[in-house]
Amino acid sequence: MEMGEGWDEPSSFLNRTGKRNIQRWKGKTASCPASECPVGTAGVGTQVGRERRQPGHHRTRQEQQPLGGHIGGSHPAALPGGECPLQPLPRAHGHPRPRRIRSPRLERPRRAGTAPTRGNGSAHVQRRHPPEIGISREEALEALQVVRQECHGDAARTAGGSGATRKCTALELLEEEQAQGFIITFCSALDNILGGGVQLTKITEICGAPGVGKTQLCMQLAVDVQIPECFGGVAGEAVFIDTEGSFMVDRVVDIAAACVQHCHLIAEAQQEEDHRKALETFSLENILSHIYYFRCRDYTELLAQVYLLPEFLSEHSKVRLVVIDGIAFPFRHDFEDLSLRTRLLNGLAQQLIIIANDHKSAVVLTNQMTTRIGQSQSTLVPALGESWGHAATVRLIFHWDNSQRLATLYKSPSQKESTVAYHITSHGFRDVQPPAVTHSAEGTELNPRKRPRTEEEKQQ
Amino acid sequence: MAAKKLRRAQLSQEMCERLRRYQITTCQEFLCLSLLELMKVTGQSYYEVQKLLCKVSRACAPRMQTAYEMKLRKSGNPSSAFLSTTLHSLDRILHGGVPCGSLTEITSPPGCGKTQFCIMLSVLATLPISMGGLDGAVIYIDTESAFSAERLIEMAAKRFPAYFDSDEKLLCMTRSIHLYRELTCCSVLKRIMSLEEEVISKKVKLIIIDSVASVVRKEFDTKLQGNLAERSNFLTRGASVLKYLAEEFSIPV
Repeated sequence: MEMGEGWDEPSSFLNRTGKRNIQRWKGKTASCPASECPVGTAGVGTQVGRERRQPGHHRTRQEQQPLGGHIGGSHPAALPGGECPLQPLPRAHGHPRPRRIRSPRLERPRRAGTAPTRGNGSAHVQRRHPPEIGISREEALEALQVVRQECHGDAARTAGGSGATRKCTALELLEEEQAQGFIITFCSALDNILGGGVQLTKITEICGAPGVGKTQLCMQLAVDVQIPECFGGVAGEAVFIDTEGSFMVDRVVDIAAACVQHCHLIAEAQQEEDHRKALETFSLENILSHIYYFRCRDYTELLAQVYLLPEFLSEHSKVRLVVIDGIAFPFRHDFEDLSLRTRLLNGLAQQLIIIANDHKSAVVLTNQMTTRIGQSQSTLVPALGESWGHAATVRLIFHWDNSQRLATLYKSPSQKESTVAYHITSHGFRDVQPPAVTHSAEGTELNPRKRPRTEEEKQQ
Repeated sequence: MAAKKLRRAQLSQEMCERLRRYQITTCQEFLCLSLLELMKVTGQSYYEVQKLLCKVSRACAPRMQTAYEMKLRKSGNPSSAFLSTTLHSLDRILHGGVPCGSLTEITSPPGCGKTQFCIMLSVLATLPISMGGLDGAVIYIDTESAFSAERLIEMAAKRFPAYFDSDEKLLCMTRSIHLYRELTCCSVLKRIMSLEEEVISKKVKLIIIDSVASVVRKEFDTKLQGNLAERSNFLTRGASVLKYLAEEFSIPV
């Protein structure tokens, strides 16, 4: 790109409406060395939307500029020679002239000498004006805030007002994250690579070939989320949205019974009062009644259910886990229009993120695998395409390796990529072999695959 | 559920009229639009559109049940949970037999006995409940023309001589097994779609498709471009209808 040295970050002026250009140009003298340049000292750029075009020589910001173009009326100071070397640029093909939506309010405040704003108080129009009307930036900011308050007073704010202030410092976020619980999976190796278990407020995606154990893990998590806090759980309820019909109540009964038995053993060993009290409510009937099951037969029902989910979650505020078993199944057939599918999936992902954050619950999705046929070989990749890969925060891929089931952490913002082996027993999801920790006299001999919880208990 | 008309979703008359002008008549089309498009089409504000969305969603959304209710329902009717195969070791590992209400797939290399197994299951399904059967009709969709009625009678007579002691009983049993010969993918799919009425009218308690792979392999060559997508389209569509039948009527498929 042929630019003079006075330009920093040349790509910044590629902005179609040219709003951000002014920031970059602060402090640059704008006198054009070219003798016949009519622009002269135009201050910090020309104003957007004003009809200040000098046709034929310089293009205003209204015209879309390709790379290497010259926007607006100002020149960088360090242009050599007296001739303006820039030629009038042809309009870039195919770029429409950006239409400015100007609200009528824009005119009035300017005349009064205050900063103009749009109806919704966009501040970016504001920033280029301070040097022009001759007030300082802070005064401009104050004026802007006053105007903004007026506008926002009219607009009806719904309960989404909590979403308006989603900012907080990283320190607050750190405290929140450390206080947050995890949903354990009863497989200590898997919990370790996940950093403690399935995290709340995050979307976890589990991909795998059929029969590898995705639904088993979902059922295990639906039971584990209800473990009382004194045993290291989050004491929440679960919503199970089933699109494939693979939810077997009998299996959940088995898993829940094993979990209750496990907790009983711990309570007997620890002999603490609150353990015993918690165990009274942690019974099979209670576990099953706190799993809310929805059977969605096609993608319309799934969309409808996700639209209604925030309302449901505000009624049942103890829900800490939302499982969607088989998010790929309803979207893989009957869809000729792939762009519609991508749009619906993206909308779904956004809503799930909002749900996860607002209600502090974990969202677990199961995905299928599809074959990507390359030049020479074909590989198994998660279904639903590349854009869906951005939806989940944490991605686990389950696969086989000669009759051993393996779980790979494929994508995670805080943990490194690793693979562990796991087992599915009649009690549910478990480690492959008992980890090499000393077996204290807790009756672990009864179930050698049970994860020893002594260390966790001591940390409580 | 998806094809539910918007009228039935309790939207106002004028709203329905307005949407019909844009060719939006079912809930499915309504929910597929983005919020911006909905605002444009209905002419309502952002918050009104959200309320409309909730209304329409409530019309399509599935009913909530807790796992406990499901368990109670199942345990209230234990005999209908499985179709016992009368092979004791198989029944043991299957926890009772072929489960009712879900799809079961039987695969094997050729000649191992899949069709024989299916014929035996059809005999078992026609037996009365006291003998471990389902006391109902059977729908048998045959794509390989491998079903032999004589073999059926031979099996029934040899296996349950006490029950099928007269010819009448045998004929009665054969009358309740409905055989459909379909030889192409399209006809199989059409047949599956039309099964719902038959299941209700003939009191069918078992659906067998023998076999799904043969007809698919004949028609779709995966080496050709585009066939893979079509094939999986056909399979998933068939699978979802079968799943719906299995769950709605609590029958094994």
